[in-house]
Amino acid sequence: MAEVWNGPLRKLDDWRWIIPREYKKGMLVEGIIYASERMIQAIRKDQAPEQVANVACLPGIVGRSMAMPDIHWGYGFPIGGVAGTDVEEGGVISPGGVGFDINCGVRLLKTQLTEDDVKPYLEKLVTVLFRNIPSGVGSEGKISFSLQDLKKAMVEGAQFVIKKGFGFPHDGEYIEERGALRGADPEMVSAKAMERGKDQVGTLGSGNHFLEIEVVERVFRPDIAAVFGLFSRQVLIMIHTGSRGFGHQICTDYLEKMQSAMGRYGIKVPDRQLSCASFDSPEGQAYFAAMACAANFAWANRQLITHWVRESFEEVFGRSAHHLGIEVLYDVAHNIAKIEEHVVEGKKRKLCVHRKGATRAFGAGEEGVPEVYRQVGQPVLIPGDMGTGSYILVGTELAMQETFGSTCHGAGRMMSRSEADRVSRGRDIPSELLRKGILVIAESKATLREEIPEAYKDVGEVVKVVEEAGISKRVIYARPIAVIKG
Amino acid sequence: MATEKFRILDHTADIGIMAWGKTLAKLFANAALGMFSLIGELDRVENRFTTQVAVDGNDYEDLLVTWLNELLYLFEAEGVLLKEFTIQDLGQYYLKGIVSGEPIDVAKHTIHRVVKACTYYEVKVEKIRPQLWRAQVYFDI
Repeated sequence: MAEVWNGPLRKLDDWRWIIPREYKKGMLVEGIIYASERMIQAIRKDQAPEQVANVACLPGIVGRSMAMPDIHWGYGFPIGGVAGTDVEEGGVISPGGVGFDINCGVRLLKTQLTEDDVKPYLEKLVTVLFRNIPSGVGSEGKISFSLQDLKKAMVEGAQFVIKKGFGFPHDGEYIEERGALRGADPEMVSAKAMERGKDQVGTLGSGNHFLEIEVVERVFRPDIAAVFGLFSRQVLIMIHTGSRGFGHQICTDYLEKMQSAMGRYGIKVPDRQLSCASFDSPEGQAYFAAMACAANFAWANRQLITHWVRESFEEVFGRSAHHLGIEVLYDVAHNIAKIEEHVVEGKKRKLCVHRKGATRAFGAGEEGVPEVYRQVGQPVLIPGDMGTGSYILVGTELAMQETFGSTCHGAGRMMSRSEADRVSRGRDIPSELLRKGILVIAESKATLREEIPEAYKDVGEVVKVVEEAGISKRVIYARPIAVIKG
Repeated sequence: MATEKFRILDHTADIGIMAWGKTLAKLFANAALGMFSLIGELDRVENRFTTQVAVDGNDYEDLLVTWLNELLYLFEAEGVLLKEFTIQDLGQYYLKGIVSGEPIDVAKHTIHRVVKACTYYEVKVEKIRPQLWRAQVYFDI
């Protein structure tokens, strides 16, 4: 089992815990963990806080090395980690600060349907969705991109597939970065990554990735919900996937390159998975350009899946997706590094913000927020585990000041896979979920058992912490009625 | 312990393995076997696919991670489950080997999970006593 972490944690208030700089040699800034007192006990059970301290050693880091309440033990960065480096002062970019599943993220589709409209057709709908959206280990897409098209998708992301007819022309307005992160350069992507990517675009994948049908159960802030176009009993569709093998290969390639680069630049970090190079170095620039390609691949991926969701609803309801009101509410990345301007110690600085299992949560008035939402702030999409449903939050001004406009990304695992396997042995997980009113269809029974609800923290407690800490606010809670897993 | 090839290490979100080998070559082969046993049931994997693999690194740890990631690339790009790993040449710091297995057939093979990548987190390759090497590595799941 994992070792307990006994390092110092200074309580700032009920929701903030500081790891002082003195804790570890090499820490350039202090660490901060957003959590409740109860959660802190669980967080100490493994080495996640040590990883927060390790990230604080990254050259050029400013502010604090942060961890959101869904923090758990990762590799290199903790999951739930946020770190900004000043790129004009030699700040680094670290592939380990983004992770292998580059632009793993969440897209939420809203409909004009209510639970009563969907319930009678649910089984059919799930069957059709499962047939239309490739999922599972080694799943290949229904379409295969030519190398030329793949390269276009790397640069234009969701916009490219929308132009090809997979989506409504305005879908792009409701995607972080409009679905195309600038700075992507396919020349920086290896042939291996392209080989893995060409057949995987438009696939859900496996593991914790899923497609979920949900119903708005609770509205916390009706005024903001109205701006987002959300109402009670409304049916929503949540898509959680990323850049598949394409992103995994890009991360692998650049981690290897960074191992050598660190020696050349004389950079020392406490964990090799944190290997990095200054953002301005050739290696840093190349990684960012390749990472942007993977981010755009992921947005193209979620766009294609959106199209097949619409087609599936059309098939089942015999009405057009327009008529059913299937629109993109928003699409967020929760594994990414971005160049953003933030005020640090009273000065505006250009930062490379790493979000590893953390979501951008920009407040009202920010330029990066779609115009229709700008008066209230950005929608933040927080999936729970299979059984508990999801929250939609809104970004805040305090997040802009305190967390570089970032918040949590999900429930966060708390049980290892072998432990989940032990406690779920012999259990019929689909029947258990069905008793709770959730229809589940999965490619792999093993995945279902590894992803049992009790393997995760309570997402309700996670979002409570970010709300109490003031870095985002709850807008609605949606309960799942059907889940498709890879 | 001398006969044990590998063991699974618990991790909250991911999975690690510890592997042993009388020689470095055996160690690298056993680590690969450990990784593929996380991916699928290897009992029914036959010998229908063989390829040569060559990788290099900055040190043995880097070489181990690069080797395992190369095999993951084969798993996904070629769609093969690998179960036999013969290291033909291993030096400072390069490796050449022949690996074999079978193209994945979902009707025949049980797949447990996808291993996204092999990480550098807490990676170790050590000689713990004469004629016994040990490695530790964590995977992103």
